[in-house]
Amino acid sequence: MTGTAFRRQSFAGLPAGSGGALPALTLVGLFFIVPVVALLLRSVTEPEPGLQNYAALFGSGTYVRVFLNTFLVAAVVTIVTIVVAFPVAWMLAIMPPALGSVVFGIIILSMWTNLLTRTYAWMVLLQRTGVINRALMSLGIIHEPLPLINNLTGVTIGMVYIMLPFMILPLVGTLRAIDPMTLRAAALCGASPLQAFRRILLPLSLPGIAAGGLMVFVMSLGYFVTPALLGGTSNMMLAEMIAQTVQSLLNWGLGSATAFVLLVVTMALYAIQLRLVGARRLAGGL
Amino acid sequence: MLLDYDRLGWLRAALAGFTALVAAFLLLPVVFIVLLSFGSSRWLAFPPPGWTLKWYQELLADPAWIDAALTSARIAAMAAILSVLIGLLASFSLVRGEFPGRQLLRGLLLTPMVLPVVVFAIAIYAFFLRIGLAGTTIGFVIAHTILALPFAIIPIATALEGFDKSIEDAAIVCGASPLHARLRITLPSIRIGIFSAAIFSFLASWDEVVVAIFMASPTLHTLPVKIWCSLRADLSPVVAAASSLLVGLTLCLMIVTALLRRKLSR
Repeated sequence: MTGTAFRRQSFAGLPAGSGGALPALTLVGLFFIVPVVALLLRSVTEPEPGLQNYAALFGSGTYVRVFLNTFLVAAVVTIVTIVVAFPVAWMLAIMPPALGSVVFGIIILSMWTNLLTRTYAWMVLLQRTGVINRALMSLGIIHEPLPLINNLTGVTIGMVYIMLPFMILPLVGTLRAIDPMTLRAAALCGASPLQAFRRILLPLSLPGIAAGGLMVFVMSLGYFVTPALLGGTSNMMLAEMIAQTVQSLLNWGLGSATAFVLLVVTMALYAIQLRLVGARRLAGGL
Repeated sequence: MLLDYDRLGWLRAALAGFTALVAAFLLLPVVFIVLLSFGSSRWLAFPPPGWTLKWYQELLADPAWIDAALTSARIAAMAAILSVLIGLLASFSLVRGEFPGRQLLRGLLLTPMVLPVVVFAIAIYAFFLRIGLAGTTIGFVIAHTILALPFAIIPIATALEGFDKSIEDAAIVCGASPLHARLRITLPSIRIGIFSAAIFSFLASWDEVVVAIFMASPTLHTLPVKIWCSLRADLSPVVAAASSLLVGLTLCLMIVTALLRRKLSR
């Protein structure tokens, strides 16, 4: 009896039932769901009812190229990010904490620094007369400045830079959770370090790699700022195309259709990711 | 072996070297931009021919920059307060409530974090155009609150999950009213979560570019919009000065956060 009275009581005060979520639900419903649904409706109603926007989207070589380019960039960025992040996460997982905290500090600083600031720095660093080209030339490695910006190279460098923390931080957690004993056991059974890496460490860290990789891939697909500033006009990505179609061409129907395609792909990958890690682990760095 | 720092052998040197390289790569743009902001070359040559403070003078003499920064701070503060309040209430029902569709609700409230911002940006922009909120402070605050909400809910819900509810119940048994128990026992116990929520949601709004680009009007725009426009027009060193001030602000925020966290967790 006390139990039920108690329970009822603690539901008073700050609401703990579904009521507490009402303000959040109202806000998100009214200013997130309604606008997004309205936008998607526009893709089949403007300029006239029908699927002509989708036909235009998939029928035109230009748009198909933008799609392919977006997936290509996202895939390249994801792979490079995994390859670069893995050794760093590995080191961070086993480093003495005092030393590791310096590296963590650098990662957090780069993550917290204004996104435009970081992209701006790469714009200056990568230009034809930029520091990187001049350093390589004075070292005699190259004789002509490399085209590092306004192309795929620039986008890849900039995006990998932005995405690295999102890959390193969850991976450190995965690697730390691996029991060192499993590797010692492998060694006792006669495995060489390479075998132990290939058959124990790598498979055990695969869930973390998959989750982080999926997150980086999804984020890269919809990224706007960095590709728009570091990429060229010939390799535009989806987000920039959506922005341009709506802002400059004022073609809301086509822009909405593109947005819908991006949304469906993102949500599908998000669902897979939730299956893989659960909503809580998704928050990683927080 | 492979997970034992002291017994890693030659691999340790290789991993340490690589980690140092990546750390340098992560630090390079931040340090570079600060050095550049003191360089005297208009054309962003590096190393610069001389050192100067004139870009900072130019920046601080331009009311447009200061105006944009104040607008950003105002909007971010309002969005942070709103999303912490709403997020706090939502977290209580997400963590403690038992009602159908709770997982769905959690997923829904976190969706703005994963949906590509550009999709939300054009959706809310179209919506605000229709109801007359485009380019207004309220419009900015609402849009940024939606984007900041997941960053408020996650740390608060995590802290609430880690809090032992029987302590709150004990206070109620001892005669505290439920509201009183929550305000005096529970909220102080999860203050680190609330504090993180405030910082993250402030930053989510302060750094937000894409929605802001669409919503901005000639009379009302945030700092990222101002930087964006300068970047598209020319690579002026004044942007380097503005960026360096932002780097300084980030550093201060990081230090304050670390100190406060240490103090709070005691």
